[in-house]
Amino acid sequence: MAEPRIGVYICNCGTNIAKVVNCDRVCEAASKLPGVAVARTYQYMCSNPGQDMIVQDVRQLGLDRVVVAACSPRMHERTFRKALRSAGLNEYLLEMANIREQCSWVHDDEFAATNKTEALVRAAVMRVVHHEPLEKLSVNMCPNTLVIGGGVAGLTAALEMADAGHKVFLVERDDHLGGNLARVDLTAPYLDSARDLLTERITRVRECKNLQVMLGSALKNLSGFVGNFVATIGPVGGNGKTDQEISVEVGAVVVCTGYKEFDASRITYFGYGKLPNVITSFEFERMLRSGRIETKEGKTPQYVAIIHCVGSRSQEFHGYCSRVCCMTALKYTHEIKSALPGSYVSDLYIDMHAFGKGHEDFYKQSSEVKTLFLMYGKNEHPVIKRAAPEDGCEMLIEVAEKLSGEVIEIPADMVILMVGMEAQADADKLARLVNISQDKEGWFIESHPKLDPVATTTEGIFIAGTCAFPKDIPDTVAQARAAAARVLGKIAREKIEIDAVFAEVNEDLCSGCRMCNELCPYSAVEFDSEKRRSRVNSALCKACGGCVAACPSSAIKARHFTDQQIVAQIEGVLS
Amino acid sequence: MSFEPKIVGFLCNWCSYAGADLAGTSRIHYPPNLRVIRVMCSARIDPTFVLRALAGGADGVLICGCHPGDCHYSEGNYKAMRRYPLLKQVLAQYGVEDARVRLEWVSASEGQRFADVVTDMTEKIHALGPSRIRAHLQLDKVER
Repeated sequence: MAEPRIGVYICNCGTNIAKVVNCDRVCEAASKLPGVAVARTYQYMCSNPGQDMIVQDVRQLGLDRVVVAACSPRMHERTFRKALRSAGLNEYLLEMANIREQCSWVHDDEFAATNKTEALVRAAVMRVVHHEPLEKLSVNMCPNTLVIGGGVAGLTAALEMADAGHKVFLVERDDHLGGNLARVDLTAPYLDSARDLLTERITRVRECKNLQVMLGSALKNLSGFVGNFVATIGPVGGNGKTDQEISVEVGAVVVCTGYKEFDASRITYFGYGKLPNVITSFEFERMLRSGRIETKEGKTPQYVAIIHCVGSRSQEFHGYCSRVCCMTALKYTHEIKSALPGSYVSDLYIDMHAFGKGHEDFYKQSSEVKTLFLMYGKNEHPVIKRAAPEDGCEMLIEVAEKLSGEVIEIPADMVILMVGMEAQADADKLARLVNISQDKEGWFIESHPKLDPVATTTEGIFIAGTCAFPKDIPDTVAQARAAAARVLGKIAREKIEIDAVFAEVNEDLCSGCRMCNELCPYSAVEFDSEKRRSRVNSALCKACGGCVAACPSSAIKARHFTDQQIVAQIEGVLS
Repeated sequence: MSFEPKIVGFLCNWCSYAGADLAGTSRIHYPPNLRVIRVMCSARIDPTFVLRALAGGADGVLICGCHPGDCHYSEGNYKAMRRYPLLKQVLAQYGVEDARVRLEWVSASEGQRFADVVTDMTEKIHALGPSRIRAHLQLDKVER
C-alpha cells in the first residue's frame, strides 16, 4: 500500500472547542503523525469556506484521506462526506473525531482536554488509514407518511402531504382531533377563535381521501429504516393482541405529540386545590368557551388576578419560559373586560415577554384597558390568603412589587394561574419507539437547533410543534409545514441512499458452521447449501455487526467497522 | 505526576453514543479519562477488543449499549450481555480487577447517567491504581 496522504482539520467551532482545547497544539501534534500530509485549524469547518479548504487541499495536495476533528459525527458527518464527494474523493475515506460534545463541552481543564483531543485525533488518523472506498445502496422511498398527534401541528402536516397527493396515516390517541388548541377560546394577539382555526382544518382532514384518521389509537411499534418503515398501530391501552392492531408501510414519520400543561397542584403556595377560586388558565378557557365567568359559588367576580410563570422560569420546576402564557394572560384581560366591564383585572408578572408579531401592540392595548400590572421578583412569589368578611372580596394577594419597591395587597375573587407547558409524561416511551432523543426536560431533540429544527438524528423521523419545545401557533404551523416539506422532498426523489455499511462474508474463510445464520435478528445471513458457505443479503443487513463478533473464523467483515479499523483506533487512543 | 487512568469506551451508535453527545449538549461535566470508540451496536464488540485495549495499556474498559428491550437492532445488546460474563471470567483469571471492565446501559436521553457512570468508573479506577496486566504478562518485553 502506498503511503497515505491524510489531511487533518481541527475545528475551533467559534469558541465552543477553542476555549477549552488548545487547537494549535493539537494541530502541531497531528502534523507529525505518520501519513499526515497537512493539518490545519479553522474557525468553523462546517461553513462553506471550511469545506472549501478540504476540497482545495484534496485537489492541490493530492490528499486521499481526511480526518475532521469537530462536533459529533451525528451532527456533521453528512456535511463532510459531501465535501469529500465534491472533491472527487469517496465519502467513506473520512473519519471524524468528536472533540466538542464528548470533549470541550464536558471538560474545563485545558491541559487534560487537549491531551484527550490529541488522543482522539491520533486514533482517527490511525483508523482512517484502513478506510476503504465504499458504494452506497439505493432503495425505494415509500410515499406514505405516518403523522402522530392530531393537534394543530399534526393536522397541518398531514394536510400538506395529503394535498400533494400522498397517503397519510394520522394517529391520535384522544377520541377527537384538535389537541390542546381545541381547549382554547380565543387566540392572542388578534383574538381569532381557536374553534374557527381548527374547524376548517378538521373538516378538510375528514373529507380528504388520502388521509386516514385513526382516533383512540397509538403507535405500538416501528421497524425498518428511512423510506421503508413498518408502523404497527393499535388502540390506546389495547390488550396487546395483534387482532386489534394494523401494520402500515410508511417512508417517514412526523411526530406532533404536543405538550401537557403544568400541574398547578405541584405548587403549594398558590393554594390551588385548596382555595376554590384559584384556577388554572385551562380551567378559565373552559369558562370562556361556555360564556360564563363566575366563581365556584356562582357569583360574578369583581376582582380577577392573573399570575404569570406558574411552573415556568423557576429553579424549582421548569427553568424555561413557556412562551405563550404572557400573551394568553393579556388576552384574558381583554376577554374579562369585555364580558364584565365593571371588573378590575390585575396582572402579576415577572417579565412581560412580548416577542412576536403584533405582541407589543397587544401589550399596549392591554395597558390602555386599565389593567393593573404588578411586577414580582423570580424568587418572591405572591402569597394568596383567604380574605376576612369586612374586606369585601374572596382573597387577598400580597405581592412585593418590584418597580415601586413596596409590598402591595390586592383584592381578588378569582385567581388565574398561567400554567406553563411541559413535555408529555409518556414522551420517553415514544422517543424509544421511534428512536429519537429527549433533553433533560423531556422535549424531543432536533438534529440542529438552528439549521435543522424539524429533523432528528434518526433519518426519516421528523418533529414539529410543541413536542420539541413550547411554541405559539404560528411557529407550530410553520414547523409542521417545514416537516411536511422535508418529507415531500424525500418522496419526490423516489430513492433513498442507504449507508454502505453492512456485513460481508469472506467465503474462503467461512467454515459453514452457520452460527451467524441463527444470530441475525433480520435473517440477513443465508446459507448456500451447495457451497456450504454463509452469505449476507446486503439489502436486509442493518450493520449491527453482531455476526462479525461471533464468527469463530473471523470470516465476516463489518464494512466501515472492520476489526483492523477498530483495533487501529484502540491503539490510537492509547499510544 | 499523579496517576490519570486511561479508559477506553465502546459505545453503541444509537443509544449510548447519543447519550454521551447529550451529556455534551447539556454541558454535564465528567472526568476527561475516557476515550470513546463508536460501534454500531454493542453486539459488534468482539471480546478481543477489550483484551487488546487492556493489553495496549488501558486501565479500564467501558462497554455501553441500549437498555435491554431498547436495542436499535432488537436484540444486539442481549448478545453483548451474554458475552460479558464469559469475558469477565477470563479477565478474573488474569487478575484484572472487577471494576476495570464494566458493561452499562445508557439510552440516548440519559446524558446525566452517562456522566455519572464515567465519573464513578474513573474514581474507582483511580483508587485501584494503574493496571498491572502489562507487567503481569510481560507485554513490554514482547515484540508487538
